[in-house]
Amino acid sequence: MEALRVEGLSKNFGGVQALKGVSFTVQVGERLAIIGPNGAGKTTLFNLLNGQEKATAGRIYFFGQEITTMPTYRRAHLGQGRSFQLTSLFPNLTVLDNALLAVQGTEPSRFQLFRPFTAYKHLFTKAQELLGVVALWEKRDDLVQALGYGEQRRLEVALSLASEPKLLLLDEPSSGLTAAESTDIVTMIRNLGPDITVVVVAHDMDLVFGLAHRIMVFHYGEVIADGTPEEIQADSRVKEIYMGIEEETGNARAS
Amino acid sequence: MEFAAISLLNGISFGMVLFLLTIGLSITLGLMGTLNLAHGALFMVAAFVGWTAAVKLGLNYPLAILLGGIAAGLAGLAIERGLLRHLYKQLNEQVVVTIGCIYILTNLSMWVWGGAYHAPFTGFTGSFPIGDMMYPVHRIATIGIGLILFFAIRWLLEKTRLGAIVRAGMDDKETTTGLGINLGRVTYLAFFLGCFVAGIAGVIGAQMLGANLAMGWTILLLALIVLVVGGAGSIQGALLGSMVIGIINAFGIALVPDFARFFMYVVMIIILMVKPTGLLARKA
Amino acid sequence: MGAANLKSFKPPRRGDVIRFAPYIVIGVILIILPLFLPSHLQYLMARVFIFAIFAMSLNLIWGYTGLFTLGHAAFFGVGGYASSILVMRYGIESFWLIAPAGILMAALVAAVFGFIALRVSGLYFLMVTFALGQLLSSLAEVDAWRDITGGTFGLRGIPPPNLGIPGFTWNGISWYYFVFLAFAICYFLLHRIVNSPFGHVLQGIREGEPRMRALGYNTWRYKYIAFIIGGLFAGVAGVLFAPFMMLIGPRHFAIITSAEGLLYVLVGGAGTLFGPVIGAAVIISMEYGVSMYTPERWPLILGAMFVIVVMFLRGGIYPHLINLWRKVRLRYSQWKH
Repeated sequence: MEALRVEGLSKNFGGVQALKGVSFTVQVGERLAIIGPNGAGKTTLFNLLNGQEKATAGRIYFFGQEITTMPTYRRAHLGQGRSFQLTSLFPNLTVLDNALLAVQGTEPSRFQLFRPFTAYKHLFTKAQELLGVVALWEKRDDLVQALGYGEQRRLEVALSLASEPKLLLLDEPSSGLTAAESTDIVTMIRNLGPDITVVVVAHDMDLVFGLAHRIMVFHYGEVIADGTPEEIQADSRVKEIYMGIEEETGNARAS
Repeated sequence: MEFAAISLLNGISFGMVLFLLTIGLSITLGLMGTLNLAHGALFMVAAFVGWTAAVKLGLNYPLAILLGGIAAGLAGLAIERGLLRHLYKQLNEQVVVTIGCIYILTNLSMWVWGGAYHAPFTGFTGSFPIGDMMYPVHRIATIGIGLILFFAIRWLLEKTRLGAIVRAGMDDKETTTGLGINLGRVTYLAFFLGCFVAGIAGVIGAQMLGANLAMGWTILLLALIVLVVGGAGSIQGALLGSMVIGIINAFGIALVPDFARFFMYVVMIIILMVKPTGLLARKA
Repeated sequence: MGAANLKSFKPPRRGDVIRFAPYIVIGVILIILPLFLPSHLQYLMARVFIFAIFAMSLNLIWGYTGLFTLGHAAFFGVGGYASSILVMRYGIESFWLIAPAGILMAALVAAVFGFIALRVSGLYFLMVTFALGQLLSSLAEVDAWRDITGGTFGLRGIPPPNLGIPGFTWNGISWYYFVFLAFAICYFLLHRIVNSPFGHVLQGIREGEPRMRALGYNTWRYKYIAFIIGGLFAGVAGVLFAPFMMLIGPRHFAIITSAEGLLYVLVGGAGTLFGPVIGAAVIISMEYGVSMYTPERWPLILGAMFVIVVMFLRGGIYPHLINLWRKVRLRYSQWKH
C-alpha cells in the first residue's frame, strides 16, 4: 500500500528551479530519510507535500487520493502531520495550550463558540498523553517562549503527532539539539507503530542511520540516489557531496 | 475641449504635488520598512511655514519654499530619531505612534497659527490663455518643478554612489551593511531629504489648496493611495501613481464631485487585491 | 503586537470561590455607585461603556485573532446610521426593531468587508481596511444623498430609544443602566466566545497561522467569523451611540474613530477581555477632565497618549492589575494555610 506517491513534481521560484521533476513512492510503515546539502530542495518538497507551496508541475497522491492542490488544513484531516524546520509554536501561550490546540485540530469541537473550553475533558487527557511522550507535562503551565531551545524542539515534534497522523513529515527534528536530545528523538520515532509512515529531512547522520530503512539524496532539486543505508554509504557520488558533512559528524555507520 | 485640457492640467499639477509628497513616504517604506503616517502632517506644517514666510513676512517665494522644506525635514527627523528609530520592523507600532504624531503636529499648528483657514497665496503670479480660458502660471510652474525634481532625484538614485547605496539598502539591508557601508547615516540623509521634498510640496501645494488643519489627514490618504497604486520604493512608481490619482481626482471633482474620493478608494482597494505591491513596485 | 493569554486553560478547582470576588466587587460598585453621582458623571460612565463595547469588539479581531485593522469604525458607523435612518427617515419608532436592524446591517457590512479584506494580510490588510472605512465615510458625505444621510453634517437630533415602556423617561440614571445592561450582556457573550474552543483557536491563529493550518484548522474561516462577530458588536456600540449623543456623522466611519478604538485597546491591554474596558475608561475620563480646563489642547494630549502607550506602556494597564491581583491571592492563600 502506497502512503505517498509523487510524480514529476517541480517547483519554480521566479526563475530558480527548486525542484526538477521529482518522482518517488513511499510505502506504509516506511522510515524514509531525505538528505542533501542546503538548498537542495528538501524543505521545498515538504512544503509541496504539506501544502504550504503550490507545485509548478507534477502530482502528489496520498493513500491513492490526489492532493496536489488541496489546502494544508485538509491534508491534516486526511492524516498528515508535520513539524517545521524553524520552530513554529505559539510563543505567548502555555505548553498545555499549545498541546490542546494541536489535539483539537482534527476534532469537531473546534468550531464550538459558546461552551467553555474546560468542558472538553478528553482533549485534556489527550494533551497530557502527548506532553508525556516528550516529557513536557511538568512544564505545562510555562509559556513556550520561556522554554529552552531543546524543549521547544521536542514540543515541535510532539505537536506534529497530535492528530495521530498516518504520515509524519519531520523537517530537521533534531537540529540544534544535543546528542542526548537527538537520541531521545530517534527513540521516540522508533517507538511509533508500523502503521505510521515517517519521512524525515535531516542533516544529522546519526539520526538518519539510526532509524531510516531508506535514504533519498537530494542535490539541486533532483534525487541523485535512493536506496538502503548501506547502498547510500557505498555510493561514490554521495560521498563526494558529503565529504564535508561526514567529517563533521565523525563516523556515520549503519546501526 | 478646453474643459478637458484644464482638468488634465489640474490633475497633472496636483499630481506633481502628490508626487513630491509621496517620494519621501515611498523611499522610507522601501528603505527602512518604516511607515510614517505623519508624513502628511509634515506637508501641512510646511504649508503653514511657507504661508507665514511668504504672506506675513513678505519673504520672496523661493525662500518660503526652502523654509517650508527645512521645517518639514526637521520635524520628520525628530519623529525618526525620537520614535521610529526604536520601532524597527514593528509596523503596527509605527502606525500607532505616527497617528499620534499627526494629532500632535496638527494641534501644535493650531496653537501657533490659529484655527483659521489660510487662503492660497500666489508665488508665481499671472496666467496665460488656453483656448478661451486663462490658466494660472503657478500650476504650470508646479508641473515644471515637479519634473525637474523627478529627474534630479532619479539621477541621484541611479547615477550617484549615494543613490546606489540607497538602492542596495532597499534590496538587501544585511548584505549592504555587511559590506561595511554605513547605511545608517545614508538612511537618515535619505529620510531628511524625503521630508524636505514633502515640505516643498507643502508650500507649493499651499498655492493651490491654501493651508488648513485638516490637511494632515486628507493629503495623507491621497499619498497612501498613490503609494498603493504606484508601488513602494520606486520613483517611477510614485510618479505614475501620482499622475493617475491626480487626474482621477481632477476629473472626478469636475464631473462627479460627490464621488471623486469614493472612486479613488475603490481604485486603491482593487489594486490592493489584485496587485498589492503596486503597478511599478521595486522587486526585492 | 504581542498579547499574552493570561488565563491558563486549567479547569478551575472546586471551592476556589475567591476567583469570583473581583467580578462581584466591581459589579456591585458599578451598579450602586452611579446613584450617588451627579448626572453629568452618569452620562460620562454611560459613554465609557458604549465605547467599552466598541473597544472589546475591536479586541476580538485584533488582540485575540491578531488582525490589525484600521477600519473597525466602519461597523460602528453602520450601526449608528442604519438605526437612526430607520427612525428619522422611515418613522420606525420601536427600539426593538431598529436596534436589531442596525446590528444586523453592521454584521452584513462586516461580512462583505471581511470577505474583501481577508484576501490579503499584514500591511495590505491594514490599508484595505482603512480604505473601506474611508470609503463609507466619503459615501456618507455625498451631497445628493443628503435627504437620507444628512450629508457632511450627518444626522442630528436623533431621538432617544423608544422602548415601549409606559412612563419611562431618559435621564442620566436611565441611560446609565440601559447602557450598562447592554455592556453586561455583550461582555458575557464575548466572555463565552473567547473562552470557547473557537476563541482558543483565534489565539492560536494570532500566534502562528501556518502552524494552525498544518494542525487542521481552516484559518480563513475562523478569521472571517471573528471579523463578523467583531463587526456585529461594533454595530451594537453604534446603535447605542447615535441616540445617546443624538448625532452621528461621516467621521464615525473614519480613521479617527478607528484610531481611538485602537488606543483604548492599547492603553487597557490587548488580548484580554477587560483590558479595553479599562482603556476606554481611562481615555474618556481623561478627555472629560482635560476638556474642562483646556479643551483645545485635548488632541495634543490624545496624540501624546498614542506615543506614550507604544513607547513606554507596552502591554497596557490591565496586565499590571492582574499581576497585582495574583500577588494578593497568593498572600491570601498563604495566609489561609
